[in-house]
Amino acid sequence: MDLDISGAKVFFTIPFDFPILGKLQVSETIVVSWIVILLITGICIWLTHDLRVENISKRQAVAELLVEKANSFVIGNMGEKFRYFIPFVAALFATSVVSNLISLIGLRSPTADLSTEAAWAVVVFIMITYQKIKAGGVGGYMKGFTQPIPLLTPFNILSELATPISMACRHFGNILSGVVINALLYGALAVASSALLGLIPGAVGDLLSQIPILDVGIPAVLSVYFDWFSGFMQAFIFCMLTTMYIANAAEG
Amino acid sequence: MDVQELVGIVPWTFIAQIGNLFLQVYLVKRFLFKPINEMLEKRRAMADAEIRDAVKAKDEAIAMKTEYEQNMLEAKNKANEIVMTAQKTAAVQSEQLLLEASNQAAAMKAKAESDIAQEKRKAVNEIKDEIGGMAVEIAGKVIEREICEEDHAKLIDEFISNVGEAS
Repeated sequence: MDLDISGAKVFFTIPFDFPILGKLQVSETIVVSWIVILLITGICIWLTHDLRVENISKRQAVAELLVEKANSFVIGNMGEKFRYFIPFVAALFATSVVSNLISLIGLRSPTADLSTEAAWAVVVFIMITYQKIKAGGVGGYMKGFTQPIPLLTPFNILSELATPISMACRHFGNILSGVVINALLYGALAVASSALLGLIPGAVGDLLSQIPILDVGIPAVLSVYFDWFSGFMQAFIFCMLTTMYIANAAEG
Repeated sequence: MDVQELVGIVPWTFIAQIGNLFLQVYLVKRFLFKPINEMLEKRRAMADAEIRDAVKAKDEAIAMKTEYEQNMLEAKNKANEIVMTAQKTAAVQSEQLLLEASNQAAAMKAKAESDIAQEKRKAVNEIKDEIGGMAVEIAGKVIEREICEEDHAKLIDEFISNVGEAS
């Protein structure tokens, strides 16, 4: 049997070659991202409708808890002056978690596409650089690369560029590995169940061997790690690194 | 259907995801943080107002307590004063009473003494008169003639006073 692990499907292509950017392709990643946005926004609207000052509902308590957690996470890691970063970090975390977990309902995670993480990492990188320039000026920022001795300049540039690359690849690698392992496991279990049921003689065996009976249940165990744990963990790490890097950059 | 590279960056997806991220930031801010923060702000304002009210009530209570304590102190002082005045008055009165009583007693004693003296004098006088009479009678009998009482009163008195002194 063949097993195909490929990138995002392309649903729609505009047949016009943009310079550098290439053809505009509406891929599975983009479509699922929109679904994720709709999902998160829908949850937000559902959580915050009918807010009351006292005698609150459980739904409102959850909404308040989320907001308070986001506040304490960002302010705890970055300090009070980065209060305006709270919605950004919260949106990043929510998008990451929901994107990671949406594979549970059979859609392809947008985070299983390096373009997504690269986009996030580049945004974070621009914020880091902006904070560094804001803290030390352009001269101070440039001079920072020659510290402690000018000989280290190439390494400093390399380490600076490594930040977004490592952030993007860490997240992407974890999610992609989950996708790959899940695909391999499903394939392997299908083969195993076919071989097992093929032992039944006659037409019954031929018919039953077409049903990958072992695919039911067993992959869920691995899904606990690769989807749930890894999904939350990577989102958390990405947001943690974002807050840490930006706060450090602002300190100069 | 075409598929993209498994590992690779697709420029359009990249741009779209940046846009999606900021769209998500806006949506989360608009639909989660804004209403919740507004509600929290309202709740905080309410709590602040309640705390303010409580502080005001406490201040009022403290003021009332101070006033009450002051009133109590005043009342106590007044009571003490009254008691002290009463005590003083009582002392003065009792002294006066005692003085009066002793005066009265003294007066009574003096009167009794004078009464006694008077009685005694009266008795002495009566006895004197009697003795005088008797003496005149005896003397009359002795000398067998009438002695004129008036004529010899001086003599008799002298005699009796001598007797009185001797007795």
